[in-house]
Amino acid sequence: MSSATPKRKFSQRGQRSFGSRLQAATTKRRRPFWVYLVAAGPGLIAANAGNDAGGIATYSSAGSQFGYRPLFFMVLVTIGLVVVQEMSARLGVYSGKGLAALIREEFSIRLTGLAMVALGVSNLGLVVSEFAGIGAAFQLFGVSRYVSIPLSALAIWSLVLFGSYRYAERIFLIMSLAFFAYPLAAILGHPDWHRVATQTVIPHFIASNSFVFLGVALIGTTISPYMQVYAAAGVVDRGISPEEYPLERADAVGGALFADIISMFIIIATAAAIGGTGPLQSAKQAALALRPIAGSQAVNLFAVGLLGASALAAAVVPLSTSYAVAEALGVERSVSRKFRQAPLFLGLFSVQVLLGAAVSLIPVNLITLLIFTQVLEGFLTPIILTFIVVLSNRRSVLGDAVNGRVFRKVAAVTVVAIAGLSSLLLIQTLIGWL
Amino acid sequence: MARKPILLNPRRIKDLRESRSQRLLTIKSVRESIISFAGLSGKPVSNQNGSEIGRLVDVVVRWSQDSDYPPVTGILVKVGRRVAFVDTDRVETFSRDSVVLSSATLDLRDFSQRPGEVLLGKEILDHQLVDVDGVQVLRAADVFLAHALGRLRLVGVDVSMYSLLRRLGPTRFRSTATPEKVLDWAAVAPFDEHTGAVKLRSTHQGIKRLRPSELADLLEDLGRPERQGLLSALDIETAADAVEEMEPEEREALLRESEPEVAADIVSAMEPDEAVEALRDLDEDERHEILELMEPAAARALGNLLEFAEDTAGGVMTTMFIKALPSDTVSEVRSQLETHRDHKDEIDGVLVVDEVGILLGEVSLFDIALSDPGQAISELISEDPVVVEPEVSIEEVAERLIGSRRFSIVVAVNQRPVGRILADDIIDALSPERGRFHFPRLLS
Repeated sequence: MSSATPKRKFSQRGQRSFGSRLQAATTKRRRPFWVYLVAAGPGLIAANAGNDAGGIATYSSAGSQFGYRPLFFMVLVTIGLVVVQEMSARLGVYSGKGLAALIREEFSIRLTGLAMVALGVSNLGLVVSEFAGIGAAFQLFGVSRYVSIPLSALAIWSLVLFGSYRYAERIFLIMSLAFFAYPLAAILGHPDWHRVATQTVIPHFIASNSFVFLGVALIGTTISPYMQVYAAAGVVDRGISPEEYPLERADAVGGALFADIISMFIIIATAAAIGGTGPLQSAKQAALALRPIAGSQAVNLFAVGLLGASALAAAVVPLSTSYAVAEALGVERSVSRKFRQAPLFLGLFSVQVLLGAAVSLIPVNLITLLIFTQVLEGFLTPIILTFIVVLSNRRSVLGDAVNGRVFRKVAAVTVVAIAGLSSLLLIQTLIGWL
Repeated sequence: MARKPILLNPRRIKDLRESRSQRLLTIKSVRESIISFAGLSGKPVSNQNGSEIGRLVDVVVRWSQDSDYPPVTGILVKVGRRVAFVDTDRVETFSRDSVVLSSATLDLRDFSQRPGEVLLGKEILDHQLVDVDGVQVLRAADVFLAHALGRLRLVGVDVSMYSLLRRLGPTRFRSTATPEKVLDWAAVAPFDEHTGAVKLRSTHQGIKRLRPSELADLLEDLGRPERQGLLSALDIETAADAVEEMEPEEREALLRESEPEVAADIVSAMEPDEAVEALRDLDEDERHEILELMEPAAARALGNLLEFAEDTAGGVMTTMFIKALPSDTVSEVRSQLETHRDHKDEIDGVLVVDEVGILLGEVSLFDIALSDPGQAISELISEDPVVVEPEVSIEEVAERLIGSRRFSIVVAVNQRPVGRILADDIIDALSPERGRFHFPRLLS
C-alpha cells in the first residue's frame, strides 16, 4: 500500500567485535588515488592558510635579503609543520573535540586562560597583518591605505554579520589562487638550480642577527597557532572518525608539504628576481618576482592575489578566535546559532577587526609591519605547541593513537628548537637595547 | 522581581531594603553550607591533631539509582608523590577549605576506579554537561557539594562566568562558593568520560521529554563522545527525528562519525525525503556503505529517490503517502491511517488510485474524520490534486503550490503517484542557508 520505513532496534555502540572493526577499517576505505589529490581536506586548507599576506611578505623578504640561503632553514620548518599539523589533526580525529575544548578539559583553568590569551594575541597579530596586506594591495592599485583599510574593515565586518560572506569568500579564494603563479614564475625566472639544490639539501645556518629575526618570522608565518586550531576544528566539523584517520593523515601531511613547497618557490622566485638587494622594501618590489610569468602585469597579478588572500583571512581569523574562546568557555551555542545576537562574540569579533584595522593604519612601512606581526606569531607559537605536544603525549586523550616514543622526541625537539630561536631573538633584542 | 519604575515611597523603600537583606542573608547561608569543589581541590588534608598529611586532589562520587544526588564515597589525597584513596568513613569533617580525617593512620592504597564511580575534578569539572531543563550544553565551571540526607552529596553545578573568573584569580578567594548560575544536579545529564554514556536515570526521563528540535540543538553543541552518548540514550525513532532537525553540516558530521550500523539505523528511521537529503551530503562510498546495511527494500527506495536531482520535485519529495482504492470504506482508510500514527506530521490526505495505480483524486483528513464510516472513499473526492512530474524544478513546484493554495502536492509518473511534497519541504528547500558559523570549507 504505502512505502513503510523499516524499524529496527537501535544497535548500541561497541557491539561489534574488535576484529570486525579492524577489518572494516582496513577493507572499507579503498579510495582511488586521485581522491587524495582532489579532496581538499582540512589539513590542506589549514596549512595553506599560511600563505597569506604575512607569509608572502616574509618569504619574499627572505628571498630578497638572503637569496637561496634560507631554503635549508625552510626544510627544517617544514618538518616542524608536518609534525605539528599531524598532531593537531590526530587530536581532532581521536578526541572528536576542538583544541580549545581539549585544553579546557585537560589543563587547569589558568593554563587554559594562558592558552586563550596566547591564541587571541597571535590571532590579533594575524588580523593586523591581513589588513596591512589589504592596504598594500590597494596601494599597488594606487589607492591610499588610509582609505582602503577602513573601508575594507567595514565591508568585511558587515559581510560577516549581515549574511553574504559565503559568496564573497569564494571570490576572495579565487583571487588568492593568483599565488599559484609562483612556482611557474620561479621556473621561468631561470634561477641558479645548482645553488637552489645545494642550499636546500646541505645543512647550514646563517649566523647573523638579521637572519635570527627573519627565522623567527619564517617559523611564525609557517607554523602559526591559528593553523593548528583550524586543522583540529576542521576535522571535528567534518565528523572524521578514527577509522578514516589514514586518509586524514595523508591530508594533513600532504597539505603541510604542499604549502611549504609553494613557500619555497616564493623564496626561489624572489631570490631569482631581486635576490641580494637587502630586506624587502615594498610590495611593488615583491611583485617583480612574478614578472617572468606575467610581464608588465606582474604588479596587478600580485595585487589581486594579495588582496584575495588577505581579505579571506581577515574574516576567518577573528571568527576562529571567537569560536575557540566560545569552546573554552563552554558556550558553543552562542556562536553556532546566533552569532549575530551573542554580545560577547560579536564584541570579540568586532574588536579584533577594529583593532586589526587600526594598528595597520600606523604610519610605518607596511612590509616592516607585516614581518613584525609574523615575528610575534613566532614568539607565541611555542606556547600553543607545548599544549599540543602535551595533549598528544597523553594516553588518556588519544588512547592508542598517543605519540610513540620516537615521535615524542621529535615533537619535543621541534618545540624546544622553535622556543630556543625565539628566545635567542628576544635576548638579541634586549642586548641591542642596552 | 518587579521591573516597573519604583516610586519613591518610604515604605516601599523600607520593604525593598528588608527583602534585599533577607535575600543577601539567604545567599550568605547558602554560600556557607555548600562546598565548592574547585575551591576545595588542592587544599590541605590533615589528621585529627591538625597536622597536614597531604593535599586533596579529587573527590569520588558514585552514581546511584535511588537518588538524583550522587553521594561522595571518598577523596583522593596526594601524599608526597603518591595519590591515595581515603574512604568517606575515615573523614571527620569536610569544610570549605580543608578536610580533617578521623583516623590518625592513613592507609596508602592506590586508587582504582570502580564502575559507577566518577572523579569530580577529572571527569565533571570543565567538561560538557546537558542542562535538561534549560535545554543547553554547558561546561561545569564549578561543582557544589552539600550535606543532604545524611551524607555529603553532589548537589549542583555552576556554569557562571563569575565562577571561572574566581578560579582564575588568587587562590584565597577560590574556596568561597559563588552560586551565581547554579543548576540543580537532578536536571543535569553528565557524560561518562570513557563511554560517553548518559548516567542518571532521572535525566534519561528528562531527555525523553525534549522535543526533536531541542535534541538536535544539543547534539550539535556536544563533542563527539558526548554526542554519541546522548544519541545512544535515545530510542531510534526519537534519534531519527532529532537528526532530521539538525543543520545539514552537523548532520553530515554525525552520520560520518557514527558506526555505520548506527548510521544505517538512523537513516532507516528517518522520513524518506529527509533521509535522501542526509545521504546526499555524504561521499558516494559512505552512502553505499549505509545503504548496504539497511533493509534491501528501504535501501532500494532511497536509492531510487537519490537518482533524482537535488533541486527537482523528485529530489525533495517524500515517498511516504497513503493510497486507497475507490471502493475502500472510510473506516478501512481510518484503520490504515492508524498504522501510520508515527508519520502523523507527514500526512495531510489520502490519495485515491484505481486498480492499476492511476491517480483519481485526493481526500483530505478533515473529510475522512467527519464522514460516515461506511461511506466509500471515492464519494469524498472533491477537488483534483495538484500533480507534477519528478523532473520539475523546485521553483515551479513552489509556484504551483502558491497558485493552488494547497499544503501539499503530488508527484506522479504517468499519472501514477510516486511521492508527495509538503509545503514545509519547499520552504526548507527555498530558504537561504541558515547562518551557522563554520570554518569555511574552501575548496570542497
